[in-house]
Amino acid sequence: MSDAKRVLMVVDDDAGIRTQFKWGLSGFTVITAKDRMRAMEVLQKYQAPVVTLDLGLPPDAEGSDEGFAILKLILDAAPATNVLVVSGALTTENVKKAVEYGAYDYLAKPVEMDKLNAAVERAYQAYGASNPL
Amino acid sequence: MNIEVLSFGSATVAFLLLALAMLTGRRDNLPKRVLALAALTSAIWAAAVTYQAAYEDASSAGMISATLVLELIRALGWFAFLLVMLRTAYKTTPAVSRRFRITFTTMSVFIIGLMILAQYRISGGAMLDMIAGNDVLVGHLLISIGGMLIIEQLYRNTADEHRWALKYLWMGIGGMFAYDFYMYSNAMLYQRIDNELWNARGFIHAMVVPVIGVAIRREMRWSLGHASIDIFISRSILFHTTTLVGAGLYMLIIGSGSYFVRELGGTWGIVAQAAFVFGATLVLAILIFSSKVRARLRVQLEKHFFHYKYDYRDEWLRIIRTLSVNNEVSRLHERAIRALAQIIDSPGGILWLKRANGCFEAEEHWNMEVINVREPGASSFVRFLEEQQFVISLDEFRRNAEVYVRLAPLEIPSWLDNIRNAWLVVPLVLNESLTGFVVLARSPAHTNYYNWEDSDLLKTAAKQAASHLAQHQAAQELVSAKRFEEVNRLSAFIVHDLKNMIAQLSMVVSNAAKHKNNPLFMEDAVSTVENSVVKLNKLLSRLRGDTADNITTINLCELLEETVRASSKTGALPIPVLNCQVVEAKIIADRDRMAANIAHLIQNSRDACNQHGRITIRLKKSERYVIIEVEDTGCGMDEAFMRERLFKPFESTKGTMGIGVFQVREYVEKLGGEVEVDSRVNEGTVFRLHLPFAGTQEPAIKHAQILKLDTFDKRVRDV
Repeated sequence: MSDAKRVLMVVDDDAGIRTQFKWGLSGFTVITAKDRMRAMEVLQKYQAPVVTLDLGLPPDAEGSDEGFAILKLILDAAPATNVLVVSGALTTENVKKAVEYGAYDYLAKPVEMDKLNAAVERAYQAYGASNPL
Repeated sequence: MNIEVLSFGSATVAFLLLALAMLTGRRDNLPKRVLALAALTSAIWAAAVTYQAAYEDASSAGMISATLVLELIRALGWFAFLLVMLRTAYKTTPAVSRRFRITFTTMSVFIIGLMILAQYRISGGAMLDMIAGNDVLVGHLLISIGGMLIIEQLYRNTADEHRWALKYLWMGIGGMFAYDFYMYSNAMLYQRIDNELWNARGFIHAMVVPVIGVAIRREMRWSLGHASIDIFISRSILFHTTTLVGAGLYMLIIGSGSYFVRELGGTWGIVAQAAFVFGATLVLAILIFSSKVRARLRVQLEKHFFHYKYDYRDEWLRIIRTLSVNNEVSRLHERAIRALAQIIDSPGGILWLKRANGCFEAEEHWNMEVINVREPGASSFVRFLEEQQFVISLDEFRRNAEVYVRLAPLEIPSWLDNIRNAWLVVPLVLNESLTGFVVLARSPAHTNYYNWEDSDLLKTAAKQAASHLAQHQAAQELVSAKRFEEVNRLSAFIVHDLKNMIAQLSMVVSNAAKHKNNPLFMEDAVSTVENSVVKLNKLLSRLRGDTADNITTINLCELLEETVRASSKTGALPIPVLNCQVVEAKIIADRDRMAANIAHLIQNSRDACNQHGRITIRLKKSERYVIIEVEDTGCGMDEAFMRERLFKPFESTKGTMGIGVFQVREYVEKLGGEVEVDSRVNEGTVFRLHLPFAGTQEPAIKHAQILKLDTFDKRVRDV
């Protein structure tokens, strides 16, 4: 499986983050989504095996409800997806909840590009291992 | 002309005049007629006595017996009047009225019996000797005691506002009975009627008439038997027995006196006098030398024998009025001081309240110099107030600290001692704990009369004030909690945005290491920085308290179409069916927020349907509102859930949608609309958002700017 085909969905409401994730994760085909509707569209269309998901999304940009709702939707629709929660609001409670919901990993925002790359890479390998072609 | 003629002659004239006045008065009613009757019988009796005194030779045995009967008829007349008064006065309380009437009617029947008895005993001889026959005397004594007793009931149960007019009536008739009592008890002792006392009786009765006249002049709100009489008697109607006790005591003393007279054979007057003087001196000495007994006696006397100092109903209404008048000019704290001060006409006061650290600090002052002292919560003064819940009178404490120290150790703090005009310390007690206290300034009028009644009323009023203050404080705390919550929300927002900005800017830097030669990257880098600038500006404006809403006129039909289309794209089921019954339905709101709210409701319906069922969205119109209806055929909610949990934030059955419906309602209400929910378990739910038309909107949108965060705003400007 070549790098060019490795699709990654980035869900974040911040345009700057989305843009920079694209450049920073240039080893992957990054498709971005800014909200629940886009995210579900992209998921259907590209079947991204790995997703980075922000928790603070509109309409609950300051909380985490919407993020968790999307996490649930994604895992309901495609249970094999490895979702990396990337959030600025990683309280113990949120981490616990993310794990309970079935997130693959979590990273605190702001995140270093190297760390992010490594985490996404790991998620892909894990996906590959459990879903051999 | 002998003195008896003059005496009873004047009584005759006086009673006649009274009877005439009663019969010719403007208003005519039962009490007045009966009073006229009593006056008339009295006049006839007095005339009969006068006649006999004037023509002693002419008086036959028959004449004398007629006079005796007349005296009884006269007593009956007065009794009849008093009974009529009783009936009228106690009309509103039938039970009491019945009890009283039975008592007094029995008494009247007894008098009639006495009359018959008296008739049989007439055997000739002088009239006064005939009256002195023992059983007839007892009858006369009982009549006079009975008369006084009824008058006591009437007087003591008369409402204050009627006393002014009625007291003369009671004084007059009561005086008459009292004199009879004195005369007949004297007669009982000597076994004969004292000539002087008998001769004076006519004058006494004559003197009584003008006093009754005054009462009648005062019109008596005297329309007794009139409707206004319903409020004639006030407070708790009690059967008062002072007369009985007093008369009993008097008879006992007289009786024991006469017993000693017989036993010792001396002149009873000297023995009695000696005994009386000695006894009186003894009692006086006890009272003078024991201030405690005196104080207790005074309290007892005041409690049981005097009228209440206050009209409690009026006081209570005034206290409540003072406490609850809501104007910006006077703070509740000041009003609390005033409410207490006005009870005892105190000219000023200072309010101390308990702080979180347990200390008491002066919070408010009214017409009194404020002093800045802190009273520690553990002082004996505070403990005394809390445990005894006792109003401390500083005057009394200085005079006799024993009264207080007997209850619990108490030291008056020196700062309080130094307030020159400090008078009373009233504890504010709520749920058995001291929340504060009020120091009241000395009242020029009341100082000498301060007693248990003032203290009781102050204590109770203070409890009322304490609960008002507590309520006020709770409201304040709620407001600051709301502000705090807002600040928290804001800081969450700031942290979220700052983290995003740091993230993207640091990514620009790290990505630049790899891609800086790629013009496309540079383009994106600039747009990322630009995005950050936009975010920073937004942040700043929000910190200033500007509303974050971007308010425009929205065509709801379009908005609903868009939202439904967008939500269908996610592939989630069921897909809502849109039914716009109105095309031109415009409201003023933030487009994104409105869309998000509708999306919330659609999502809720989906969750309720769990992929099956139907969601219908309708747009309707009423007179004042555009109505968005989101209906589903999902699982529904029961009443308890809707009532207790649906609109509460952080309550959810789904784990994720904690604040959804709460937010929807908050926003709709901010727009001046309302949210209505209908739901049945297993049948479905309808949410109806009533939104005001564009143009008809109230200025609610202005209030929608929530609380301005002044402190934040200021800090931002300072920077």
